[in-house]
Amino acid sequence: MGLLTIIRKIKRKEKEMRILMVGLDNSGKTTIVLKINGEDTSVISPTLGFNIKTITYQKYTLNIWDVGGQRTIRSYWRNYFEQTDGLVWVVDSSDLRRLDDCKMELDNLLKEERLSGASLLILANKQDLKGALTPDEIAKVLNLENMDKTRHWKIVGCSAYTGEGLLEGFDWLVQDIASRIYMLD
Amino acid sequence: MEEETATSPPTDLSNPTKSSDHALQKKHQAMLDRLSNRHQARNKSSSSSSATESTASFLSKFSDSKRLIESQLSESSKLATTDTTRLKSHLADISSSISALEQLVAENSYLLPSYELRSSLKTVSELKQSLDSLNAELVPKKKFSFKNKSTNKTSVSGPKETEIAKPEPPKPTLVIRDLPGIRNKENEILAKNFRDSEAGEFTLSDLDSCEVRLIGCVSVLFINRLTNCKVYAGPVMGSILIEEVENCVFVLASHQIRIHYAKGSDFYLRVRSRPIIEDCGGVRFAPYCLSYEGIEDDMIKAGLAEDTGNWSNVDDFKWLRAVQSPNWSVLAESERVGAIELKDLGSMTGEG
Repeated sequence: MGLLTIIRKIKRKEKEMRILMVGLDNSGKTTIVLKINGEDTSVISPTLGFNIKTITYQKYTLNIWDVGGQRTIRSYWRNYFEQTDGLVWVVDSSDLRRLDDCKMELDNLLKEERLSGASLLILANKQDLKGALTPDEIAKVLNLENMDKTRHWKIVGCSAYTGEGLLEGFDWLVQDIASRIYMLD
Repeated sequence: MEEETATSPPTDLSNPTKSSDHALQKKHQAMLDRLSNRHQARNKSSSSSSATESTASFLSKFSDSKRLIESQLSESSKLATTDTTRLKSHLADISSSISALEQLVAENSYLLPSYELRSSLKTVSELKQSLDSLNAELVPKKKFSFKNKSTNKTSVSGPKETEIAKPEPPKPTLVIRDLPGIRNKENEILAKNFRDSEAGEFTLSDLDSCEVRLIGCVSVLFINRLTNCKVYAGPVMGSILIEEVENCVFVLASHQIRIHYAKGSDFYLRVRSRPIIEDCGGVRFAPYCLSYEGIEDDMIKAGLAEDTGNWSNVDDFKWLRAVQSPNWSVLAESERVGAIELKDLGSMTGEG
């Protein structure tokens, strides 16, 4: 309790937020992070391990943990759960075949107690593709309506390729976290 | 111990040892009593006076604000008849002064004698009750609106029921609409030209002993469950995801390539980032070797004009060590198929 209070105080002073990006492989997590940060997205290798990006967003400092999504390394996700303020679940909206996988992994993640307080942003990525499911359809498939009532969540369609929707999603996430942690200042 | 023996000799001389022990104990007890008495006395003189003092000051403060609140309460019944507009804020004031009083009690609870504490808490709760009853009595508006709402609900019970009924069956329609692609074929040559169409995503799945020729760009390529197939494809602008393939040959160009569950297959790649394999065995890699008329333009369009040489920088997620993974290798030049040219969709030539 004492330590938590101290950490909270430090965070409040620095206005830091810790954001965890997860999702299946090939969903576009790294591309999204780089796009938000205005970096080149043309050469991105599948993430072996993780990347950390510190981004100044509005008046906050976001520490974004972008963790690789390959099946083999999904079991390591749990090493990154501690102190997570915001969870970003990235979905490849065009990968219909693996939506079941996607739902199962998300369900597992949301059972995690260490993430129970985190705001959840679901990014229905790759909306630039013709066959992509809409955010509404993704919400249906993932059964988001029946989520635990205490969870703050939102689904936003986006394209890491064009950048569309990314700011909308992160605006919501940052505001939601801020209103929880910093009592809206 | 030494001290004891030093003082005991005189008694030792006159009395037997037993009684001397007894006397010693008595003495000791007397000293302890004296000490504790003195200690208590000192305590009383310093702190107890301040405690009684603060109790008294608390009680006077408490009774003052209690009286104030009581007068406010009685005033509010008058206000209700004369100035109803001010009534609401007046009642709110009373409510806040009651909470302030409660706060005062809480702050002083540790020094108050238990009787005072109990009685003051009781007073607070009585004040609260009388405020509540006044609220109920004098603010009929609120009461009315409550009633209004509840009657509203009951009277419009028809649509409410339908509202509940609506979201009841969340149909398990997993919106499976298939992406464009080629599926479930055997022993066929399958060709498709994307050069004039708008690039989208494309799927190859469940093919056995087929040859697939894709000319032009697509955005995304999904390859799933192929055996004994040859796949020749123009540049893919986004990523390629391959799962469950066996004894196949792929000639592919893309930004990203992920290969899962591949066995005994060869990949001729041009890829901007590092290709990855996971749960694969006996897969071999070589540089891209396909050409067709206009492929240069397509490569430029897809940002793949230059070969980065990444085709051999394979990451094996099942082999996270510095030494070479046993699951993949570079295909020896002598074993490579050589340049492949698609003349048109129907025919092709292979060299070497």
